[in-house]
Amino acid sequence: MATDFMCLEGADLDIPVAGRFLNHLEAIGKEAREAQLPFIEQIAALLDKLLEEMILGRLSDGDEGVALLGQGISRLQLIVDNIDHPQNIVDEVQSFIRELSSFLGKEEPEQIVLTPDLEVKPVEEEKTAAQAAPPTSGIPDESLMRDFVTEGLEYIDEIEINILNLEKEPENKDYINAIFRPFHSIKGVAGFLNLEIIRDLAHNLENLLDKARNGELTVTPSIIDVILDGADVLKSLIIELKERLEGRESKGAPLDISPIMERIALVEKDEGVPKAKKIGEILLEEGHITKDALEEGLKVVEALPGKKLGEVLIEKGKVKPKQVSQALRKQAEQITEISSIRVDTRKLDDLIDMIGELVITQSMVQQDLKGLINADRNLVRDISQLFRITSGLQRISMSLRMIPIKQTFQRMARLVRDLAKNSGKLIDVEMEGEETEIDRNMVDEVYNPLVHMVRNSVDHGIEMPEDRVKAGKKERGLIRLRAYHRGGDIVIEITDDGRGLDRDKIIEKAIKNGHIQTAEGMTDQEIYRLIFLPGLSTAEKITDVSGRGVGMDVVKQAVEKLRGKIEIESTPGRGTTFIASFPLTLAIIDGMIVKVGHQYYIIPTTAIRQAVKPRRENYNTVVGKGEMLQVMGQLLPLVKLYSLFGVKPEHEEPWDAIALVVEGNGRAKCLLVDKIIGKAEVVIKSLGEGFGKVRGIAGGAILGDGRVGLILDTEGIFALSEAVG
Amino acid sequence: MKILVVDDFATMRKVVKNLLKQAGYENIVEAEDGVAALRILKSQKVDLIISDWNMPNMSGLELLKAVRADSELSKMPFLMVTAEALQENVIAAVKAGVSNYIVKPFTAEVLNEKITKIMEKINQASA
Repeated sequence: MATDFMCLEGADLDIPVAGRFLNHLEAIGKEAREAQLPFIEQIAALLDKLLEEMILGRLSDGDEGVALLGQGISRLQLIVDNIDHPQNIVDEVQSFIRELSSFLGKEEPEQIVLTPDLEVKPVEEEKTAAQAAPPTSGIPDESLMRDFVTEGLEYIDEIEINILNLEKEPENKDYINAIFRPFHSIKGVAGFLNLEIIRDLAHNLENLLDKARNGELTVTPSIIDVILDGADVLKSLIIELKERLEGRESKGAPLDISPIMERIALVEKDEGVPKAKKIGEILLEEGHITKDALEEGLKVVEALPGKKLGEVLIEKGKVKPKQVSQALRKQAEQITEISSIRVDTRKLDDLIDMIGELVITQSMVQQDLKGLINADRNLVRDISQLFRITSGLQRISMSLRMIPIKQTFQRMARLVRDLAKNSGKLIDVEMEGEETEIDRNMVDEVYNPLVHMVRNSVDHGIEMPEDRVKAGKKERGLIRLRAYHRGGDIVIEITDDGRGLDRDKIIEKAIKNGHIQTAEGMTDQEIYRLIFLPGLSTAEKITDVSGRGVGMDVVKQAVEKLRGKIEIESTPGRGTTFIASFPLTLAIIDGMIVKVGHQYYIIPTTAIRQAVKPRRENYNTVVGKGEMLQVMGQLLPLVKLYSLFGVKPEHEEPWDAIALVVEGNGRAKCLLVDKIIGKAEVVIKSLGEGFGKVRGIAGGAILGDGRVGLILDTEGIFALSEAVG
Repeated sequence: MKILVVDDFATMRKVVKNLLKQAGYENIVEAEDGVAALRILKSQKVDLIISDWNMPNMSGLELLKAVRADSELSKMPFLMVTAEALQENVIAAVKAGVSNYIVKPFTAEVLNEKITKIMEKINQASA
């Protein structure tokens, strides 16, 4: 170590030697700690710090540092020499430790700049560094700039993808790193190229991610928003640079990055998490109490621990109990907003499942109770209390799985951007109601049909920029995504301001394909709806965007499979809107309960067109097609559920029974049942692992009276009837 | 003298290359990450490594450690490029045996100074 020290002397610090020295000091410190030699440990730690400061070039007086290092080493030697008579050297060693500490302490102000503050206000710090050492080549190389633009834009694409990934797994350090790195690289190069605004923004975004990476900051949706928006601003800045390089003057004023910088600073400071306000603050804000009353109340609370501020204020007559309870609710809302935990969705599904059963069991108990004539009054009261609690529990449990549609919308927005780029169209995306919630399990299901609708809007709706200008429209097209709740459904609208549907072309094709004979008497609505029929895609050419063999008929089927509906509105030259509505959850089904023999079946109401009492003269057997029933002038195949499931029915003849006209997969058939019991919302349950997938049965449900009903899958029933008959 | 520039950002490699050329170093090879750098180091003789700290797959620090652990390369001069003089990064690199470090953005002069200093030390040691 002494030899290494010799090398440390002299004008310049030898970095490799300093490194070895640091390692020595670390080893000495460790040994001293184990051997319980606090003086040695302390000196080693101080010398370590001193040397680190020297390496970082932060000591104003390097020579003094070297001198102190030398003294430190000789003191260490002194301690070792006097290990048996420590009292001889205590004073000397202690005074040296004081000297060393105060020397390091003197450098404290400079040091603070590089500890936490560096991360809070790094920009100014960096600016001075940049001013101190401006790159020699005054005007940065143009080809370098071009490389930077190309590579920088690629990096931002990468960032965007990884942000979307991060949104799904906010804890995943790999994703944070994958976003951090490109920002870091962009910042580094921007520094060399004198692109200060880009460098500053990239730097602050990088810092935000660095904090997330170190666990100083939790990744919340608001942080993701800021990063995403930051990346967008960065992208615009680079595109601006690109335009300048191409000799095009950028339109409008240069981008102002201060709003995004402020937002970064804000989420960084608040950890992006608003703190719940105190009850007193809320009351004050609402104007229920005066500041004096609040202070007075707080004093009482301080004097009487265990007393709540609300109680005190009520007792003193300063506020009404109702105001306090409102304030408390407000506070609770704030708290629920800020705290969340991650739960395995399977556990959540199980919980929701169990609660579903609880609700059913409780209604069975209630039914049983009704049967008891001399039921205990207390029991009746308790059971109805239980009923209220369980239905509340069910409501909450269903909401647990709800997440905003935002994520899906963002994926759409990305998709539009990519598709627009490929097709040379200019398209903006607007979102509305992205906070609208939908069952977690529905999110993936609705994605595919929505993608097809968006693809359709981009490809067939929005025109090329020059065509738009010719038509007197803005050069940039607009696709608007909108979501809202309506009844128990979530409605998603996809609107484009493109050319609209071509009515005549649809009619022409529909006639050609034999779907209709004439369009006479059809409303525009009815005509537009024809595009949901197979083979009616109006595209003249097959493109990369929509021409993947998927027509609107497939979209309609996919939506219906989710028990949803799709509508279309269009104005020629003005645009088209797809309106799709889906149930909020797949866990509950609105069904018609029917009876065949002793069995109960549930048919999704969305699939039922009508119910008829067949007449003998409407029943036919057609060669090659089997039994048919004429309903409203249409000849439809008749499916006898009893023969399909091998149940002994009450009525064997169709004219004694009831027929339900059921649609599925674009076709309609009549299902023969004995009796219609009624409509009910039921919780879908799987049949259990033992059964696997049973054709024609979508699942089971426990009915209000505790009986089990089987939920029919209409498409499966159709397929089954064709296989049998 | 042959210098290996390691950075995942191609533009950054070009920046460093330009600065090196300004400082009079013409013989430059590039690698886009630590793994590629090690492959080059195995196949050709390099006199100095200039590596970025922050890279995917294998960071600059990991590359440094791998180089120091390799019996043939352990003495290889290694200049680490960092974005800021972040204490923990610099000290970690120094402890791992880096020859010197340089903070972005830097000029051709500073770069040349650092390289000269590193090479002088090497020559002293071998003399």
